[in-house]
Formats: sequence, C-alpha cells, structure tokens
Amino acid sequence: MNGLTISMEGMLKTGEANFSVAQSGISDFIFSRIKENRTHEIMQLEAVEKAAGVLMGFYSIGQNPYVITWGTEKEDFPMLGINIINGSPFIQEFDIIIGEVASKEWNKTISDKLTIKETEFTITGIYRTASIYQDKGVVLQLRKLQEMQSQEGYVTIIYVQLKEGANIEETTRQIEEKFPDLVTIKSVSELGKVDKGLETLDAATMAVSLLAVIIGGIGVTNTIMMSVYKRTREIGVLRAVGWTKKRILTMILGESILLCLFSVLIGLPVGVLGTKLLMLQPIIRGVLEPILSVEAFARAIVVAFAVGLVGGLYPAYRASKLPPSEALRYE
Amino acid sequence: MTKIMDVKNLVKTFEHGLVRALNGVNLEVSESEFIAIMGPSGCGKSTFLHILGGLETPTSGAVVVDGINISEAKNLDNFRARKIGFVFQLHNLIPVLTARENVQIPMFELKLSGKERNERAAKLLELVGLEERGDFVPPKLSGGQRQKVAVARALANDPRILLVDEPTGNLDSASGHEIIQIFQTLNRNGRTIVLVTHDKEVAEHANIIYYMKDGQILKS
Repeated sequence: MNGLTISMEGMLKTGEANFSVAQSGISDFIFSRIKENRTHEIMQLEAVEKAAGVLMGFYSIGQNPYVITWGTEKEDFPMLGINIINGSPFIQEFDIIIGEVASKEWNKTISDKLTIKETEFTITGIYRTASIYQDKGVVLQLRKLQEMQSQEGYVTIIYVQLKEGANIEETTRQIEEKFPDLVTIKSVSELGKVDKGLETLDAATMAVSLLAVIIGGIGVTNTIMMSVYKRTREIGVLRAVGWTKKRILTMILGESILLCLFSVLIGLPVGVLGTKLLMLQPIIRGVLEPILSVEAFARAIVVAFAVGLVGGLYPAYRASKLPPSEALRYE
Repeated sequence: MTKIMDVKNLVKTFEHGLVRALNGVNLEVSESEFIAIMGPSGCGKSTFLHILGGLETPTSGAVVVDGINISEAKNLDNFRARKIGFVFQLHNLIPVLTARENVQIPMFELKLSGKERNERAAKLLELVGLEERGDFVPPKLSGGQRQKVAVARALANDPRILLVDEPTGNLDSASGHEIIQIFQTLNRNGRTIVLVTHDKEVAEHANIIYYMKDGQILKS
C-alpha cells in the first residue's frame, strides 16, 4: 500500500514544485479537470514564482495497459523534475519523450516510433525523474494530449513553485479561498483531499491485513493449544518439580512468540519472492512499485511478535492453570 | 527421631464428594525413615502421595510435611521445588532434552547459574551411575536408565523427602533392583523416602510397610 501512496505522491509533488493544485470535490485525482487559464491566474499571485499546468492520462502501450502519459510544455520540465538524459525535448506535434524505465522495458530509443491510441509519435528524448513511476511513463506536448483526450483548455493538475521566502501555508489558503473549485496538496498526508479511492483502498488493505492477522492468530492459538494438550503430562511433571504457574505461562508464551518469529523468517523471503514474481506481470509493473523497506520488514516482525503474544495467551493461561495431579494422570 | 510427616484424619473426595479416595488416613513418618505403602490399584496410594507432595490439597484433615501445613500453605510450588523429590512409575522425562538437561529442570526455580546447574547435574548422574549418558536423549536410553535419570532429577534440588510412585512398575527385575538399591543408599544418607507400590518384593526393602485399603492405612 505504501508503494501506491508513494507513486501517487510522486505525481502530486514533483521537481521544483512546492505543492500542487487539483479540482476540489473529486473522488480520484485523475478525474481532476481545471480550466487552463487558472494556471495564469495562480501565476499572478504575489508569492508564486511559477505555475505549470499538466494534463494526465493513461494509455495502453506495449504490454502495459496503464502507462501514465503527461501533457506539458518543455519549459516546465524543471518544475516537473524531468531531466533529459538522452536526446532532446519534443519540438514538433508528433514528438514524444519517454521515461528511462519505459525505454528499457519497451526496448525503444531516440528516433524510434511509438504508437499511442492509433497516433504514431517519434521519440526525441529519454528522461529521468526522481520517481520510478514517472520514469515508466511518456511526456508529449500539452496541446497534443488535450486534443487526443478532447480536453482542449483543461489540465489535470497545476504544479506551483513559490518565490524564495514565501509562506506556503498562507499561499495555499489564499488559493483555496480565491478559487473554491480548487484544492491544494502539500504532502502525502493530504492525498485524501483529491483521492478517496486511495483512502478506500487503504481501508480495504487494512481490513484484509487485519483479517490475515486474526486468522494467523487463530492458527497460532490452535497450534499452541494442540501442543499444550499433547504435553499435558510434561506440564504436570514441571509443576511437580516446583515450576510456578508464571514460569509455565512464560514458557508457552515464549514458544508461541518463537514460532511466529520463526515463521516471519520464512515468510519474509517468500513474500519478497512473491512480490518480485508479481512485478513480472506487466499490468502490475506499470502501476505499483513495491517498497521493500527496513520499516516494512520491521513492521512484519513486530506484527509477528504481537500475533505470537496474543495467540499464545489463551493456551499459556490454560497450561498454567492445569492442576498438576490431573496433568500427571493425563493419558 | 524428629517427625517429618504428620497426617491426621485425612479425607480426600472427588466428584463433589461422590468418590471418597482417602477416608481418614492417619500416619506419622520420622526423619530418615524409608516406608512403603502397599495396596491394590485404585486404593488411593497415588492420591495420598500427591497430597504429601503438595500436588493436591486435602478435603479435610491435617497434613504437615517438614513443617508445612499442606491444607493452608499459600505457595506449594516453592515447597515442591525445595523440599520434595518425585519419582513416578513412568519416568516422565522430556524426550527432546538430554539426560543432563532433564536433571536440570527443577534447578531453574533455585536461580542457579548455567555452570552450577551443569556441575550439579553431572554429579547427580554420576550418583545414579549414568555419568557417561549425560548427552543422551531419553529415547536413546534403556527403561532402567531413564528411571535413573528420573531419580537424579528428583534429587536435583537436594530435597529431604523423596516420594516414589511404583518406581519399578515398568522395569525388568534387574533394573528394578538397581533402582531400589539407589533408594536404599539415599535413605542411608539421611533422606526420608515414601514409596507406594503393589509389589511386595519392592516394599520389603523399606524399613516399615503400611497397607492401604479402602482409603485407610493399616500398619503391617
């Protein structure tokens, strides 16, 4: 889920821009539709150094059905963090530049042709940004993309760069007050303003994760409970030689936690491998970028520890409460 | 000799009083005595032994063992850890632990260091003649050897009293004889032993034999 959020953040806040502006009241930011002249109006604000309107779309190119396609002016490349690493920006109507990752995936380079929605373009340059998600996309002239999408006079998003020393909070408030049809996004935490879909997806992912944790917890409880039943006589002997209830409880809980931590040691490499396999699918590769961070691994270990602790509580409690004489008679 | 166990009018019932396992048992045991309690299966021998060892509490009556009133004591774990050593008919060793590790199990309550536990376990295994078998797990030991490890485990915390439940029940006669000899040596060194058995030959190695019938003890 973090990968999706980071991909989205890469689109909403990029290059030299301090923040972005989208249409207010939309459920998904890709549906944002802003009159292009708003870009000029925002540029008139005292604190604003520069504003760049960008139209976005998704097209099926090669094996990837969701290639992000940007329509912008070449003067705005620095605002968008687009650096040409090979060739030159587009000059003519049917020129296009493609991301470094896309270039490798499609095995396309300068002067090659690329067809988008039955329109043939000539690749004039290869670009690189700070976002792999953007590097899997293509950029063409704003007018051309507007024409292809029948969106003449409209953009999806406006990137705004402030003058040095300008107050970002004050400027975003000023924009939202002056243009009630617009909303500003300064950070990933504000994504929800323009993307309810992401919030829904986040909630669904959380629900699925929670369900997995609950099922895992029940599995752990069952496994440890079976172990306690199987070792009833052994527990009786431990109590007979003087082990306290607390020590029995600690022993069973420790076993439960160890079981879960051992499982996570196996599960993490399997998960990483599974993710790599998923990323081989073009439909996923173009949209999602897995984040295999230390934080994600640490979270998995903490969750495993918690599942071991909670899942082992009931069996451990039962084991500690076993009357020793009854446990010794257990067949 | 000093009295180490004093049982007065001990009653133990189960199933809400429907089953009367012990029906007014009276017994006095002096320090360093080796007594045997004989009786048929189901006569209450094991229940009696469990009460003496603090594994169960009496329904009524008074049981005082080495100064501890079993009916009223709050912490019988500590009593079992420090004053009592149990030997069961089935050795009840933990199969995945070595003989040395099995012997160390009761020592955890004494908070000994790993080195101290190891040294003590080695000495106890030597005492029962298994110094060469310390690294063996129970499935690799014979029945007699397993029972010897169980005896070593019972002695782990140097208890004054050994409570022994049919120790030779699952052994051949040679192994059984060896186990009894170990108990006799322990008794000669001052340990009080209460042994329950239905085997007359085993019971005859004790200083005093009692008979148990219908939940009551009768002296021989």
